Amino acid sequence: MSRTPQRHVFTNVFETLSRDYLQGKEEVLRLSVIALLVGGHILVEDLPGLGKTTVALALAAVTGLSFGRVQCTSDLLPSDITGLSIFNREEGHFSFQPGPIFNNIVLLDEVNRAMPRTQSAMLEAMEERRVTIEGITYPLPDPFMVIATQNPSDQSGTFLLPESQLDRFLICTGIGYPAEHLEREIIAGGGIRERVGSIEALVYSAEILAARDEVKAVYLSDKVLSYIHNLVLATRSHDLIQNGLSTRAAINIAQAAKAAAFLDGRDYVAPDDVKGIAVPVCAHRLVMRNDMATVERGGVIRTIIAGIALPLA
Amino acid sequence: MVAIRSLTTILTYAIGLCGMIPLFPWLTAMPRTILLVGVISGVWQDRSGRWPLRPWMQNVVIVPVFFFYAMQFSSANPIQPVISVLAIMLAVRLSGEKTVRYSLQIYVLSMFCLASSSLFDLSPVFLLYLGVLLFVVSLALVLLTFQKQDQAIAVTLPDLKKILAFGLLMPLLSVPLLLFFFPIMPRTQLPLWHFLNPQTATTSGYSDTVEPGNKSSITVSGALVFRAEMPQQGQSQPYWRGTVFNRTDGIKWTRIAQVPVERPVITIKPVSQVIYPEPTAIRTLIALDRPTAIALQRVKRSPDGVFELIGSAGKRLSYTADSLSSGVIAQRNQLDSQFYLQLPERLPARIKALAETIVRTADDDRTRVKQLENYFRNGGYRYSTKDLPTGDSAMEQFIFDKKQGHCEFFASSFALLLRAVGVPCRVVGGYLGGEYNQLGGYYLVTEDRAHVWVEAYINGGGWTRIDPSSFATNAGDVWKAPEVNTLKLNIRQAFDSFNHAWNRLVITYDFEQQIKIAADVGSRLQGINATKILRSSVPYFAVMLLVAALFFAVRRTSFFYPRERRILNRFLRTVELKFGVSAGDKGLFEIAAATDNEDVLEFVGIYARAVYHDCSLTDNEYKCLQQILQLLKG
Repeated sequence: MSRTPQRHVFTNVFETLSRDYLQGKEEVLRLSVIALLVGGHILVEDLPGLGKTTVALALAAVTGLSFGRVQCTSDLLPSDITGLSIFNREEGHFSFQPGPIFNNIVLLDEVNRAMPRTQSAMLEAMEERRVTIEGITYPLPDPFMVIATQNPSDQSGTFLLPESQLDRFLICTGIGYPAEHLEREIIAGGGIRERVGSIEALVYSAEILAARDEVKAVYLSDKVLSYIHNLVLATRSHDLIQNGLSTRAAINIAQAAKAAAFLDGRDYVAPDDVKGIAVPVCAHRLVMRNDMATVERGGVIRTIIAGIALPLA
Repeated sequence: MVAIRSLTTILTYAIGLCGMIPLFPWLTAMPRTILLVGVISGVWQDRSGRWPLRPWMQNVVIVPVFFFYAMQFSSANPIQPVISVLAIMLAVRLSGEKTVRYSLQIYVLSMFCLASSSLFDLSPVFLLYLGVLLFVVSLALVLLTFQKQDQAIAVTLPDLKKILAFGLLMPLLSVPLLLFFFPIMPRTQLPLWHFLNPQTATTSGYSDTVEPGNKSSITVSGALVFRAEMPQQGQSQPYWRGTVFNRTDGIKWTRIAQVPVERPVITIKPVSQVIYPEPTAIRTLIALDRPTAIALQRVKRSPDGVFELIGSAGKRLSYTADSLSSGVIAQRNQLDSQFYLQLPERLPARIKALAETIVRTADDDRTRVKQLENYFRNGGYRYSTKDLPTGDSAMEQFIFDKKQGHCEFFASSFALLLRAVGVPCRVVGGYLGGEYNQLGGYYLVTEDRAHVWVEAYINGGGWTRIDPSSFATNAGDVWKAPEVNTLKLNIRQAFDSFNHAWNRLVITYDFEQQIKIAADVGSRLQGINATKILRSSVPYFAVMLLVAALFFAVRRTSFFYPRERRILNRFLRTVELKFGVSAGDKGLFEIAAATDNEDVLEFVGIYARAVYHDCSLTDNEYKCLQQILQLLKG
């Protein structure tokens, strides 16, 4: 069993945050850490006031990474995110002022409020990990991770992310209401926004990058590989689904499963890992048939998984 | 990919044939034709992939057939209608679409057909068909379960191999059971129906009268009569003595059972032989000429060397006989020669005249016999089974006009003439020759070897065997057809010795032998001797070790689950029993989480590390897992 310092650090991060600061948000935290370990992005889809921003802030604080925030509105321009060149009168030339995207962890709040033009500029930056402005390419910092939030209930004046863009998010998850006793505690103690500032960094970017290498080295056996492949194939031939999972989705499942195994302290992927991340990795990528658009996609993924035999031996 | 459906179709035909072929010879013409038509039309439809014959049409066809045969059914004819209906039903099903349901019906019908064929014949071929049927049916059943799930299911070749291996394993496992039940189950020695109701059409060379003039030609079958286990007898063909005819009315020879006492002088070493006759309704026991003793219970022995069973014949039996094969048997006592000189009241004039000529020229038995023999040898007689003299004067016609006939003509006319010239004689019926099977060390004698010859009592010499048929001009061609030692003959002989072994070891194995074996076991148990048992059990242990080694060797292959799978199954059962957590669609770590038990987690950790690294468990890990399982169970 791999007991490397990196994995210990990450377990520690995860445990500290969920114990001291973000009670009841283990799942979203775990998924965020997984996304961080894989180098993917995460889309948190839930109602306002459930702690989406807090999670992002806390994650940035505990990792000691730089944090940028973009509050999306319908008049937000691409340059508001990427930055722009400003003419410097004294020196007599344009100098580039980097936007908020030049941070390690970027929170895109209410991403569906931005115009499609802005959305696509931003998502392109997410995928390419670099920004080209006026012919000059600026690389984004590494590690780089976007935490986007989206409010599913408020549809007026919003631009829902198209499927092709959704595919770029490694993980899409909700937060949900906290359990009753936890919520009472939170009400009693007040929010933790103030305390987030006092979180000490437990992990550094070099460690994150080393951990990423270890995640890549996690062993993915043929059995589990077939299991993943069967899952992908099953979504493509399902009655309710118009377009099944893409190859990128399949790669992402494997990556996320590796990260989950790593977090669980193993150097091999078990089918359980795949099961554990399947819904947040897959559900948002499914394109349902027109008349089935209202079907809950997580449920569909769960039924598909239940129908595939786990490779136990 | 192999389509299961095409496989099951082929297997279904194989099964159908296994039921059809053994029964086919016993069917009448109509079911035979229907069977052939059914199979051919079935194959044709399966090849074309369209089935214009709908099941309801077939069912409609069967109903009148059923009624037709039901009307023929009677206590005198109970079997033919039943097997005809069986065969026709099989044909109808074979001609239709092979759905799962109809395939199963075909299997059942085939088994019934094969079983009913055993009413007629109990040859080892039955075992062959039964074996094939068992194997193929169990294979087909496995495949049918797949087909039932999905009509168009197809499997890859490796999967198919696995399925076939499992399918074959089932009947293989039943073989030890078969061997166990064989000695203790009740059995029949005879094809019940066929034997109790012999077919009237049988042509037999052997009969209880000799009446040469009743047919213008004869046909003989090559059916097996008996086998005689004994060393090969020189170069000459052995004579097998059956019965003796001692009375004649000029047309036919018959037997009177009350014969004068004879006391043969035994000067040479008797030849011992074991005879295995085929079951027959004839009670006469056959042995090498001339038998002095037959070791069998309930046998009536006549002084003239004829042995007959008392009571019911027809059981498959075997007996040891001792015979004097010299052909001349001296007598210690004076024979009542008048008994063997009986003549018909009215002897044809030409015969009388011939006899008188011989009597005039020769005055002792030996020269008279010699003269008669010369008369036959020089008379241009031919051996033939066609264009025979018939009617009341057949004998006279044979001697003076037609001069051609089979052994009955030769023997009965020769004997008549012998008596006419005053030499006591009798006609002996039996068999001549036989094919010696070197492999099994026995003579095989068939029906077409039936023969009749003459025994003359020569004063001063005793009973002397004379074969008048050998006086025929073409005797050499008929009697000395040399068998070429070809491959075909060897194969036939090998098969026949297998058949013989089957009869000896399987068919004649009866209740008496069962009792004997039980008694043997009992007496052996009484004289138990520890060292002896140890010594004698060495081979058994060796065999068991071999079997165990084979088992372990096989276990490594794909016939069985690998040990990972087995220990996992044990683990899952244990967890379900102890924690009530069933595997369902849970992963191993989910199970561990659900039980919230350290041992379970440890097991899962060790197991999953090996399995999801694509490794097999090391012996250490395996031992460790077993210990954890013990802990969990305890």
